[in-house]
Amino acid sequence: MEQFVVTTIRLSAPLIFAGLGGLFSVRAGVFHIGIEGLMLAGAFVTVGFGSATGSVWLGIAGAIAVNMLLSFVYWLLIDRFKADMIITGLGLTTLCVGGSAFLMNALFNKRGSMTSAVRLPQPVVGPQEGLLAYVSELSLLAWLLPIFVFIVWLILRRSRLGLQIAAVGEYPYAAEAAGVDISRTKLVAMLVTGLCCALAGAELSVGGLAAFSENMTNGRGFIALAAILFGSLEPIRTTLAGLFFGLANAVGINSQIYGGESNIPRQFILMIPFVATMVFVTLRGALSQRRISPGG
Amino acid sequence: MSRWIRSGIRVVAPIAAAFILGFVLFASAGYDIGEVINGLWQGALAAPGSAEQSLRWAIPLSVISFGIVITLRTGEFNIGAQGQILLGGFGAVSVALLLPDWSPYLVIPLALLFGIIFGALWSAIAGFLKVWFNADEVINTLMLNFIAALLIQWVTTGPLKDDATRGETASTPRVDQTFRLSDGAGVSIELIAIVLIAAALAWIIIERSPFGLKSKLVGSSPRVAAWQGLQIKRIHITTYLLTGAFAGLAGALEVLGPSARLVTGATPTLGFTAIVVAIVGTLRVPGALLAALFFGGLQAAILYLPIVSRLPSSGLRIIEGLVALLITAQFVWLRRRHNRRREL
Repeated sequence: MEQFVVTTIRLSAPLIFAGLGGLFSVRAGVFHIGIEGLMLAGAFVTVGFGSATGSVWLGIAGAIAVNMLLSFVYWLLIDRFKADMIITGLGLTTLCVGGSAFLMNALFNKRGSMTSAVRLPQPVVGPQEGLLAYVSELSLLAWLLPIFVFIVWLILRRSRLGLQIAAVGEYPYAAEAAGVDISRTKLVAMLVTGLCCALAGAELSVGGLAAFSENMTNGRGFIALAAILFGSLEPIRTTLAGLFFGLANAVGINSQIYGGESNIPRQFILMIPFVATMVFVTLRGALSQRRISPGG
Repeated sequence: MSRWIRSGIRVVAPIAAAFILGFVLFASAGYDIGEVINGLWQGALAAPGSAEQSLRWAIPLSVISFGIVITLRTGEFNIGAQGQILLGGFGAVSVALLLPDWSPYLVIPLALLFGIIFGALWSAIAGFLKVWFNADEVINTLMLNFIAALLIQWVTTGPLKDDATRGETASTPRVDQTFRLSDGAGVSIELIAIVLIAAALAWIIIERSPFGLKSKLVGSSPRVAAWQGLQIKRIHITTYLLTGAFAGLAGALEVLGPSARLVTGATPTLGFTAIVVAIVGTLRVPGALLAALFFGGLQAAILYLPIVSRLPSSGLRIIEGLVALLITAQFVWLRRRHNRRREL
């Protein structure tokens, strides 16, 4: 049971980092489908740069820098050059999938996967048994999650910037009339998304296993996007949705390990997060007929 | 005439930019660019059998992209072609394996039909959820891709498992040789004829049918379409069915053609490439055909390049991603500057 809770937290943490990061963009009216790619880039650069420098913090700093650069390019394309945000976002994700695999091969001479020389510290080093033994698996980033959620809530719901982001997403013309620079607000929101996706990728790659593998996000960025939608674009509800998706994933993994006698094929249990996402997106759509449209 | 030139530049410039950026990256990673370019040329056209390989990939890419042209024209982002291809292959392989003793003249059309139906229904899931519940189709079609991949993994390791295969790639048994539309190379008169028929049908649907006109109106100005009394929901559902039908047909062609069976994890990026093909083809059928030939060549080269230049296939994925990044951007420097001056 304790282990199940810890597994849920570990699986949810990357989703929550990416989900709350993506929330900035989505609230600013950018349906940011490139989150998947940014997470993957964050995971790769953390492992690659961290291993090269021998410091996990430099690795994460590098991941943040690369993700902010990618976010800036994405902003340039969709805001300045009016590119289609869905197609461009898919392109961004493909670029990161190809780019991380290519650079792993070119720089580290590894195919498929590479182990990381560094990992995030695990602050609680407890006894070998009982609850603390499981809790000690949690990385520093996972422990910082509540503070992160609080900061995001503070910025989005209680700060001038948060208000501007919401205004730009909901009523762009009113925001413009009130003197808000729409382009710059979107850029700030997208840079924050990039930063948070770097953290999500870092937690994914060096939070537990300390390894990177090709396409290791495997749809988590899209699930994070679904958590935003199901969370009605609210930080706390997005966090809860992220926890739920982590829970669904943990159920799948647990039944894979312990469900020896059940007749349900493994694949159907692995489908749970994806099916749950569809159910939630549908519920969300049915509950509020307001469309979060690409281009809106 | 100048319209043609302008749209030509709009398509060629981003592709050229993507290649240049990619080559700069390859060069700085220590690869010999001359070798890479030679490998691309050899792998797409020059080496023996490579032109055939290019055509082999252009066949599924073009068929899928016809459906994506339809969906993008209606303004719906159905990006679930990947899953629809797999379901199409599943439908076709089921028919071919369940009716081994029937005449090929019955089984082949039936297998194609079931591929089309399976693909269309898989796509329609997202369509109905969108129309009835206003559920976001981008997320739902993405999720359906993952679900389809797992479903096919189950099919190929469970109910339709081929006991002869060993190792990691599970697959169904091979379909009977008489049901095949081509050999392993994947190019035949039959396949090309089917592609041309599909192209003609897609062209008629888009350019000459009432549906094509209505769906374009729904896509470009939904409010006007609503005022005109168009049944928008019905048009949307038809769009989803058609998109899935074309992708499903492509999946069926894979199974009856080059692959001869359904394989776990088959062609994982075909659906995305087809989206790029549709946009590069300027959302028109003849353009999509041309673009499919180009990206078919790229796909053939992706498989060939690692052999001659050590460049991993992920290198060309980068170029594909860059094309998708740049292709919809509007680099109209002059007009922008003009506008800005007017604002001042």
